[in-house]
Amino acid sequence: MLYDLGHADLRIKWLVTCLLATLGISYVFGALMVSLYAGFTPGRVAATYAGRAMSMPMPPETTMVMEHPMSMEEFVKPEVHEVDTDLLIQDTHVHVPMYGVIAAALSLVVVGLSLSQGWALALITLLFAAPWLDFAGMWLTKFVSGRFATVTLIGGWAMGLGYVVVTALAIHQMWFRRRGVVR
Amino acid sequence: MNLLLRGAAIAAVLHITPVVVLVKRPDAVQTLLPGADSYFARDVHLSDPDAHRLHELVDWSPEDGVLTFFGGRAGATIVGALTFVRVDTPHGPIEVAVGFTPQGAVRGVIVTKATVEMKPWVLEAVGAGLVERYRGLKPGDEPGGAAALDGHAGKLAVYIAGEVDKGVARGLAAYWTFYVVRNAGA
Repeated sequence: MLYDLGHADLRIKWLVTCLLATLGISYVFGALMVSLYAGFTPGRVAATYAGRAMSMPMPPETTMVMEHPMSMEEFVKPEVHEVDTDLLIQDTHVHVPMYGVIAAALSLVVVGLSLSQGWALALITLLFAAPWLDFAGMWLTKFVSGRFATVTLIGGWAMGLGYVVVTALAIHQMWFRRRGVVR
Repeated sequence: MNLLLRGAAIAAVLHITPVVVLVKRPDAVQTLLPGADSYFARDVHLSDPDAHRLHELVDWSPEDGVLTFFGGRAGATIVGALTFVRVDTPHGPIEVAVGFTPQGAVRGVIVTKATVEMKPWVLEAVGAGLVERYRGLKPGDEPGGAAALDGHAGKLAVYIAGEVDKGVARGLAAYWTFYVVRNAGA
């Protein structure tokens, strides 16, 4: 095959390495951002995306007023970052194309690796399925059940796993192996 | 590959930056409800017709159809109320706290949250005297923060003032339609 990263020009290897390093930095900070705004447990993800919509999904027939005392401590408590439908539409619109571009870039790296066709197809599927699961989980959590928060967590971890596997294989084949496996 | 990298760069530019807290909620509450020693929260779950009415007034519906007001008392005396209003902009959301006196005029406005990108615009607008423009507003008054800053601050500060104007208009409409009226009716 003409496109083989294991035997590629030094400039191509360097380009791919820089791309993977840059994506790695963005993934690390992405994970930090998730920990700040949504969290890594199904409960926190459900609180972020289900919000109050789960407790009162339909508007009441007449406007209802509920009043309760508040202490200053309740204002001090860390606020749950809630993503309502409008914000989720915006997030989906902004993030999904970007995730598609990242999955495509990583898939192009996969195509240049010495892997069996089956493994390459599996990896490419993982790279694209992970963000689908991530966002499908958010929408299902909002409109079906908080239990679907797990789907978002699986999607997020799958994104990380896909990146780590592709990066480890690419770095190994480009810089630490002299000959690739003949496909 | 080049095309993909360009696409990634465009996507990164479009990516919404995270929200940062400019003023903590407890600090905003203490500033806008001065002297209060007890507080209460009032959640107003809007019916479809009421949500539609609010939308007609200020082209806005609250998150999940719920308006939340926070009231303060000093002993048995009401010192005022406030609400936190979110305004979604193409640059991400900002949050505006709008406080009211017991007579229903705007006591003060505080921008409590913005995105990292918008923070300097907010700070410039506030530094140019934006929030002072809202004091004393009553229903029917048009918040004119952006118009007041025009020519006295940068374009992005004026832009963000326009978004704060929207938040104040929403807070005023919500307060007078669903807080004051219900207080009078109760």
